[in-house]
Amino acid sequence: MNPTLRTSASGMQAQQTMIDVIANNLANVNTTGFKRSRAAFEDVLYQTIQGPRIANASGGGAVEAIQIGKGTRLAAIPRIHSQGAAEGTGRSLDLAIDGEGFFQVERPDGTIAYTRDGSFGLSADGEIVTHGGYRVLPGITVPPESGTLTVASSGVITVQQGTAGESIEIGRVEIARFVNPSGLLNLGENLLAETEASGRPVTGFAQDAGFGRILQGTLEASNVEIVQEMVDMIAAQRAYEINARAMSAGEDMMRVTNEILR
Amino acid sequence: MPPEGIHALARSLGYYTTAQETMANNLANVSSEAFKAFRITARRDANSPFPVPVQELDLSQGALRQTGRPLDVALEGPGFLVVQTDRGERLFRGGGLQLDGVGRLTDRHGDPVLDAGGRIIALPPGEIAIRHDGTVLVDDAPVGQLRVVTAPADQLRKEGQGRYLALTPPTPVAEGATTVQEGMIEEANMDAVRGMMDLLLIQRAYSTNVEAMRTLDGVLGTVVGDVGRV
Repeated sequence: MNPTLRTSASGMQAQQTMIDVIANNLANVNTTGFKRSRAAFEDVLYQTIQGPRIANASGGGAVEAIQIGKGTRLAAIPRIHSQGAAEGTGRSLDLAIDGEGFFQVERPDGTIAYTRDGSFGLSADGEIVTHGGYRVLPGITVPPESGTLTVASSGVITVQQGTAGESIEIGRVEIARFVNPSGLLNLGENLLAETEASGRPVTGFAQDAGFGRILQGTLEASNVEIVQEMVDMIAAQRAYEINARAMSAGEDMMRVTNEILR
Repeated sequence: MPPEGIHALARSLGYYTTAQETMANNLANVSSEAFKAFRITARRDANSPFPVPVQELDLSQGALRQTGRPLDVALEGPGFLVVQTDRGERLFRGGGLQLDGVGRLTDRHGDPVLDAGGRIIALPPGEIAIRHDGTVLVDDAPVGQLRVVTAPADQLRKEGQGRYLALTPPTPVAEGATTVQEGMIEEANMDAVRGMMDLLLIQRAYSTNVEAMRTLDGVLGTVVGDVGRV
């Protein structure tokens, strides 16, 4: 069996994965707070064959090596945490983080998940929740019959109360940052979870050192750029074809070999 | 003589098989980060009628591509970064670096990247930046400088995962010869068009050699079967 068929197959598989990742990026071009991913590949094992000896003047010699590679494989699919564009919505509970940090939400099982999607709402009890209904930490309840809700860039939330329109502070959104945000695990629903690779969360407030600021009435758009993804898709498609051609060349050589004996 | 010719042709087929295997691997890695292609050429030694394959590691620069991820690091110019593995130091051309849970700068496989003094680089929390000379800054304070070394191409052995073993101790690159580019990835130095051309030539040459072998086999058949028959 000609081993190059498998080598070329690994190349085709790699490009297939590339297309899968691009397709997911493109599907999420309108997903709030979405961060694009990029498939990264690396070479795999090499079989080292002793090459010929090259004699030098002193009678000794060096041995050349021939290394036959066995294809490629997926190394990682890192997420790229660049800032998405800020899109004004005018809704008072639409929040975006400009800079570092994630909103923290409590999932039904008590674990904490992290998100850049700040399209929040109120639960039946007046608590600030994500559109999935999860509580936004540290847990802020908007008193009934409140007037205008204002979120400062520091994350402090105030509401107007009574006929006099007196502002009272009802809480401050707490955000978290990670040493390595690319290491966070995607949970779906725009939520991410802490992993060993991401490191422990460092919690704090917006506008503290190292944290971004909060923009009210704004959502962070997806950081997917359609043109870039299209270009990558074309490149992946061509690379797939080239590997298919390499496979067919390998196959043709095997066929020709079989025809040596008549 | 036909039997000698058949031997020579068989060696030739072996050469083209190696060339095709090498080319298939180059093409499979067309999307691998900082991949360096092998080039295959033939050499005929004075004392041998057969072509022998000679493989050369092509260390030419791959195109740099912006990713926007701060810890994606590419080298512009000759040289390699150094990573500490279980089996000793290995060289690599950069790529997606990351921080492990305790803040050490590692490659994608979690093995620590070394600084100019051969030490592991530990980063306190903060904004990370890497300067062109390899200095790693956290909140604008330098915490280390990436070690950038070089070794001759024929002294490097690929080990997969983009890593190289240096058979002779690598030496530091000349000052200013190489810049460290942050937020960039180096693409494979594999020209797909040239790869296709090479592939086509290999395939045709292989067929031609097989055809020649069959012709010689026919000649032998005639000699064995027909000569001397009245």
